[in-house]
Amino acid sequence: MEKLLAARLHAVRVRPYLAGALFALHVVEDRSVPTMAVDAHWRCYASPGFVARTPVEELAGVWVHEVSHLLRDHHGRGERYGRRHEEHGPGERLRRNIAADFEINDDIYGDGLPRPAGVVLPSLLGLPDGLLMEEYLQRASLSGLAADLAWLDCGSGADGQVRPWELGPGGSNGLTRQQRDAVRFRVAEGIRGRPGEAPEGWRRWADEAFQPPQPWRQLLGAAVRSAAGAPGTGENHSYRRPSRRSAGVPKVVLPSLRRTPPRVCVVIDTSGSVSDAELGSALLEVAAITRAVGGRRDLVSVISCDAAAGVAVPLCRAEKIELLGGGGTDLRSGFAQALRSRPRPDVIVALTDGQTPWPSASPPCRTVVGLFPRPAGTADERNPDYVPDTPPSWARVVTIN
Amino acid sequence: MTISTVLPARKTHLAPADDLLALLRTTTTEPRPDEQLEALTLAVAADLPVLLWGEPGIGKTAALTQLAASLDLPLTTVIASVHEPSDFSGLPVVGEDPAVQGVPMAPPQWAVELVRAGRGLLFLDELSTATPAVQAALLRVVLERRVGALQLPPGIRIVAAANPRASAADGWELSPPLANRFVHLYWVHDQEVVVRGLGGVWPRAELPRLVPELLAEAVAFSRRAVCGFLTARPTLIHRLPSSETRRGGAWPSPRSWDAALTLLAFGTAASASREVLALLVRGAVGDGPGLELLAYLDRMDLPDPESLLADPAAAELPERGDLRQAALEAVVAAVGARPERGRWEAGWAVLVRASETGTADLLVAPATALAALRRDDWEVPETMERLAGVIGLAREADRSVRRVTAVGSALRGAGAGR
Repeated sequence: MEKLLAARLHAVRVRPYLAGALFALHVVEDRSVPTMAVDAHWRCYASPGFVARTPVEELAGVWVHEVSHLLRDHHGRGERYGRRHEEHGPGERLRRNIAADFEINDDIYGDGLPRPAGVVLPSLLGLPDGLLMEEYLQRASLSGLAADLAWLDCGSGADGQVRPWELGPGGSNGLTRQQRDAVRFRVAEGIRGRPGEAPEGWRRWADEAFQPPQPWRQLLGAAVRSAAGAPGTGENHSYRRPSRRSAGVPKVVLPSLRRTPPRVCVVIDTSGSVSDAELGSALLEVAAITRAVGGRRDLVSVISCDAAAGVAVPLCRAEKIELLGGGGTDLRSGFAQALRSRPRPDVIVALTDGQTPWPSASPPCRTVVGLFPRPAGTADERNPDYVPDTPPSWARVVTIN
Repeated sequence: MTISTVLPARKTHLAPADDLLALLRTTTTEPRPDEQLEALTLAVAADLPVLLWGEPGIGKTAALTQLAASLDLPLTTVIASVHEPSDFSGLPVVGEDPAVQGVPMAPPQWAVELVRAGRGLLFLDELSTATPAVQAALLRVVLERRVGALQLPPGIRIVAAANPRASAADGWELSPPLANRFVHLYWVHDQEVVVRGLGGVWPRAELPRLVPELLAEAVAFSRRAVCGFLTARPTLIHRLPSSETRRGGAWPSPRSWDAALTLLAFGTAASASREVLALLVRGAVGDGPGLELLAYLDRMDLPDPESLLADPAAAELPERGDLRQAALEAVVAAVGARPERGRWEAGWAVLVRASETGTADLLVAPATALAALRRDDWEVPETMERLAGVIGLAREADRSVRRVTAVGSALRGAGAGR
């Protein structure tokens, strides 16, 4: 027990941002646990034999590993994955545990935590680092590994399946869902507050822990739809002509449903910094969304824009459009060109990496910006108020990645 | 006519079908705690408009039916997407002389009946598939409780339902002002409940009851919590949702903090669990601010450092490690704020007490901080010896950290030599 606590202190020394979570774990000694394991209620089970034969510094690594399962909500995600893909059973448990370990192990070791000899890494299967548990589960069968790693067991905290030694939700010293969320939230806030201390993987986790990223297709779709469907465009009620129901209700004035298909103009940043593949997928998406909201193909036009803007081309030709450009960007000329076209567009969709000057005032139509994220250049970490150039607030911004 | 002869014949043919249906519909219920239903009941009792987010067919309507039955309120369901704006803003009826009498906006039948009943649960379903004009008209119903020229009486509670953006065909979303008015509850199904329910046993939630003796205390508690929290975190008083992923959800503003305060008071008066409080508070002001407020509530539960210092031997420290460490750090901070020899020694006594009742590794940081507060003329108290285990533990951790860094630098040296 002493040794285990010293290891926890070691872990807190080298990973101070995880201290709250490490201390929130309740330690339970149990001989039936193979090594160390956690359950979904933040109890940490440790086998005395395993603790006795493992050096303190390696135990510190195990602490961080186990708490990572809990912080990253592997039990919840594992259960959801299992339900979605209808995969259950002991083999599946092991697969999820391995995939969860892949997600954790690629970036927690080093910098004060020695990497143990038998650690499970994605490279065992020739997979890249830095993926999520779900991605590892989809990419690899993991069955080749399963026979060798049958001993591996991080408990229900890693895969969501209850073990015989666990105390269960009713047992003592467990954390309720609300308390677990609170601990995870505090750790995430701590990392976000001082991002300099934590490695990339943890910072990404902290950003997304309570705000899971949504697929950009849905977000872009929602943005374009709500821009195109707002009053004035799209399908809406109108008093310009009486409703057909009016005939049955004399004296009552009823509006009728009228449809004005939205005109969408896509301004594409063709500067050297945006790749053709990125542009192609985003452009097709915009076209599909526009069709879905009732826009006709001839109402969607495309302007390619670098330092100077091209001419608006209707979409029927844009599928073979030559995206001219390269070099620097000035989207202002693209916006100006879009607004000059007659009839004027209802919605402007700008696809860009954001490395451009923006128009100083809001254009007289709705604007959606599809932003290809670029790594922040020289962000000044000493100045927490530093904000990189962002698209203006009048535009709805969807990050495309 | 042949109707009279047809009817009995149809009845005999359908009789077995009716019997079968009757059998299928005979189900029993069992008591089962249901946090989301408890949260919904409290929010409805607090007269705040609730918005249920959930996939189609997940049982939102069934939950509403149960709620209306148990609150003994008549349920009026209005499916927003099949209505026209005038059904909510009133139908303009041209009279004899519009220039003199004006054009009255006649309310629809359901509103008239609702007002006549004086009480009821108005359920606005399918909010997310109505046209923008209908949604605009609905805003008035929710915000001002007006339908045409008719004012809804205070006995009427409003619940709306919407499909989340990912599954909504037309991707409508709430504008920030409207989102700010609702308490957002995310409706999910529980596999066990559905399977048991289809097997014939549906859950019957025990609805929270407000305890009359707790009312005054609940108001005082929630005012203290929200005011104390917002004094510490003024930037959270008003924060418009900025990112695209947060649109349409709850966000903090004075109005939604007022809602959170109300909900907290209702939850406390009903002795609701922290889980239910969390659903409500996060539904009112959003996940981030809601979680921070709950963390603040946890801190409010911590023992007062001054009373710990006053009687260290009887100190009751929290069981949970992170909270226990927070309590000890508060004690050290209190000593540091007014460093006197007696208080410093009492601080050590609290640490000794903590070492007797919990794990030793939690004490290292507070003990180090307390030791640093020592003045030259203060002697180390004898009770310190009982913390020898803590010092041993700290040394062992130090040694192991040094071992790792030594290996690391040795490896780097070897790599450089190659």
